[in-house]
Amino acid sequence: MRHLLDVAMNAAVSLGADYADIRIQKTRREFIFLRNLSLKNTSNSLTYGYGIRVFKNGAWGFAHSNVFTPDAVKSTVQKAFEIAHQSSRVPYGNGLKLAAERAYIDTYRTPLTIDPFSVDINDKIDLMMEVNKTLLNFDKIKVATFMFEAQKDDKLFASTLGTNLDLSTTFVYPTFTANAVGNNDSQSRSFNLGGYAGGWEYVLGLNLLNEAPRVADEAIMKLEAEVLTEEKKRDLLLDPIHLGLTMHESVGHPTELDRVLGWEADFAGISFATPEKLKTYQYGSSIVNFMGDNTLEGGLATAGYDDDGVPNQKWHIVKDGILNEYGTTRATAPIIGETMSRGCNRATNYYDFPINRIPNLYLQPGKEPLTPQELISDTENAIYIEGQGSFSIDQHRVNFQFGGDLFWEIKNGKKHKMLKKVIYRSNNPEFWNSVDAICDDRFFQSFGVNNCGKGQPGQRGRMTHGASLTRFRNITVGGSK
Amino acid sequence: MIDQKTMQKAAEYIRKNCQAHDWSFSIRSANHTRTRFAQNGITQHITGDSNGISLTVAFDAKTGSASVNDTSEAGLAYLIETAETIALRNQPDPEFVVSESAKELPVTDNFSEATEKLSPADLVNIVEKCVKNAVSKDAKVSGMTEKDAGAYSLYTKNGFEGFHKSTSFSHSMTMKKGGVETKINRSMLDYNDFDVDKIIAQFNTQFDSLTNPKPIEPGKISVILRPQAVADWFVYLFWMLERRSADEGVSPYSGQLGKKFFGDSFTVKSVLDVPGLSAPPFTGEGLATENINWIKNGVIENMFTSRWYAQKTNSKPNSPFNILIEGGNTTEAEMMKMVPRGVILNNLWYIRNIDRKEGTQTGLTRDGVLYFEDGKIVSSVNNFRWNEILHDVTRRIIATGPSELIETWCKVPTFLVKDFNFVDTTTF
Repeated sequence: MRHLLDVAMNAAVSLGADYADIRIQKTRREFIFLRNLSLKNTSNSLTYGYGIRVFKNGAWGFAHSNVFTPDAVKSTVQKAFEIAHQSSRVPYGNGLKLAAERAYIDTYRTPLTIDPFSVDINDKIDLMMEVNKTLLNFDKIKVATFMFEAQKDDKLFASTLGTNLDLSTTFVYPTFTANAVGNNDSQSRSFNLGGYAGGWEYVLGLNLLNEAPRVADEAIMKLEAEVLTEEKKRDLLLDPIHLGLTMHESVGHPTELDRVLGWEADFAGISFATPEKLKTYQYGSSIVNFMGDNTLEGGLATAGYDDDGVPNQKWHIVKDGILNEYGTTRATAPIIGETMSRGCNRATNYYDFPINRIPNLYLQPGKEPLTPQELISDTENAIYIEGQGSFSIDQHRVNFQFGGDLFWEIKNGKKHKMLKKVIYRSNNPEFWNSVDAICDDRFFQSFGVNNCGKGQPGQRGRMTHGASLTRFRNITVGGSK
Repeated sequence: MIDQKTMQKAAEYIRKNCQAHDWSFSIRSANHTRTRFAQNGITQHITGDSNGISLTVAFDAKTGSASVNDTSEAGLAYLIETAETIALRNQPDPEFVVSESAKELPVTDNFSEATEKLSPADLVNIVEKCVKNAVSKDAKVSGMTEKDAGAYSLYTKNGFEGFHKSTSFSHSMTMKKGGVETKINRSMLDYNDFDVDKIIAQFNTQFDSLTNPKPIEPGKISVILRPQAVADWFVYLFWMLERRSADEGVSPYSGQLGKKFFGDSFTVKSVLDVPGLSAPPFTGEGLATENINWIKNGVIENMFTSRWYAQKTNSKPNSPFNILIEGGNTTEAEMMKMVPRGVILNNLWYIRNIDRKEGTQTGLTRDGVLYFEDGKIVSSVNNFRWNEILHDVTRRIIATGPSELIETWCKVPTFLVKDFNFVDTTTF
């Protein structure tokens, strides 16, 4: 296939493209879904093709195909060139510009020990069945599910800058849920640590069979748990898995530069974190530091390079509480005067146009030694939330409401009792400015998101978040009504 | 785009080479062009074909599935080998059901040559007009114009054969100036039904009705849910109204089949014969589509039932294929006179379950909220956060407007609802 990279780039240059690139992408995905011992879906998909971007007169054209012949490649370049010309009739401003970048010749492979596609499907199903049976052995567990996903993306990328990349990423994602019914209610509890860039060894290391009884127990306990009704200001202790979703919605999306620029205005929305706030806006308290880090081990956005051919990087998005930088692409960075991209341009499939994506983004752990037990002991009254539940945020990424998967009332420094149907409401900048304690790096946990919906047409992006247990003061917390 | 002849040839290959006891083979193929614009300029422009070729096989009750995106013999051979390998290594599925056999399918027409012929240049012409309009109003417009022309076929070892073609043209745009922000969305099978000048005029009327929003407190407030807002939310009903979940006790509709559970005036159906409303002749399971009431005058007449669950419960399998919520004849002006005060909602946004068993959901308003009093619009107001239960809301419907086509698969009315539960406001 490598010779087709040259065919495409030569064709683009001879047509007069200002810039062009080709991404040949083979995506292999295994998906197994088990519900009450019935395999509802055991499938393996292969999507293989190439997308060609042509940049001409400050505008993009993108065409894709799955026909791997020199003539088809040339024809696809021609289509991309023609629609770039059409696009330039309605230019963005005076025409887009691309941030400077140099050429790279490189390879990248996700580090892994056991390729998940080399593991016999029986081994996977056996593990899933055992977990499912363990959950269903509890009388009140009426619905038990297990979902396993593995994906491998092999990419060959070339651009008219002279870049030539051979990239391969792999991730796995196991998650299971127990639904308990009783007491005129139904409550669920999930084991969900997100996806991880690695192999089957990651799944084996989770000891899922040991986790299953706890998950079932907690789902059943939720049936009897007290409902929190009174809405009032309370302190919150939020665990890393919960915070993975919170930071995704309230920090990750607002700091994607395309949203900031209004490119998502018609669908996903815009961002309050506008460029005049850079280096001055108090996003969080002084102990809040968010890193964009596409070099993170196990990170779902760790891929060597992005789909602009820009190498993975690590940078402060929020530094000592202040909005510091955005996640950017070669097309968005120059609009705010940045000279280089942070490498956040990613497409899901070969037929998708790359868009500005959240990088791996995490809250840096506290600098002082602090264990979760010490943090609980130091908290008089609070609600402790584990895992993820309901989530909803406005189109400017300011006002939000979150639930969770498990809730505890903290009283006099101890876990007092379990609660259910808890939600909290807050906004930017109140929420992250209320942080007054973060456990240290021994307690850091990551959460890989594999289904971040964005773009028109919609794409499914992936990235990893992370945090240690964190305390928030005076947040509006109440019941679900 | 893969044509019907190529689809049939691929099915013949499967029939000849697949060794499984049972199989189901589908091909979905479409040609599309998508022109995306933001802040008065084009930012993205895509063209190409997309294909999905899927095979599910079974050896006794052991199943496996695979999908690829090309119909070459090498691709199909890989498809068979992968699906068969999975199935042979799999455990028997206690919920396995044999594939559908040959059956008579209804004749439906979801295809428009005018839509199929749209070129990238045609779409840019539409965008250009919308941008010129925004510039004339000193505003910024963002959105997407797209056309899809595609075909879907399904074949089974037991003799089912189905094929249908469809097209869609969609145009959505959001215009913003200062604190005023609003959106319009149109989707149709036939591009001949689209009039860009008319859409721009409607859009401008909607935009001009808004002013910088004034603050208003949350609480129980009467609302006029315009059709786009109804479509945004009521589509969730079609993910919840499932018979098995109800029987297992994890849905709000447990024990309610055949009973009145929604408001008296609330009727939802899937229908074959409403112009403009997309109606495929068969479902993904190979069920022939037919007119069906899901909820009639508040009574749950049918819940979605898979073929296996229908077999288990000795009932008829069914599946929703479009949404028609029955309309009334009250105008928006008449609705404003039926309550002392209230708000008009254009769109709802970011709707999520809070409590699946209760049916409690949350969401926000978006794209313009208008406050009215004594039958007249007073001003734009801030957006709200709401927590509500859909079936409860249908019991509070005071009046219903005519149904409007919002998406090719969705035709819904305006509702006037009392005491809508707004729990918070946005800070912008």
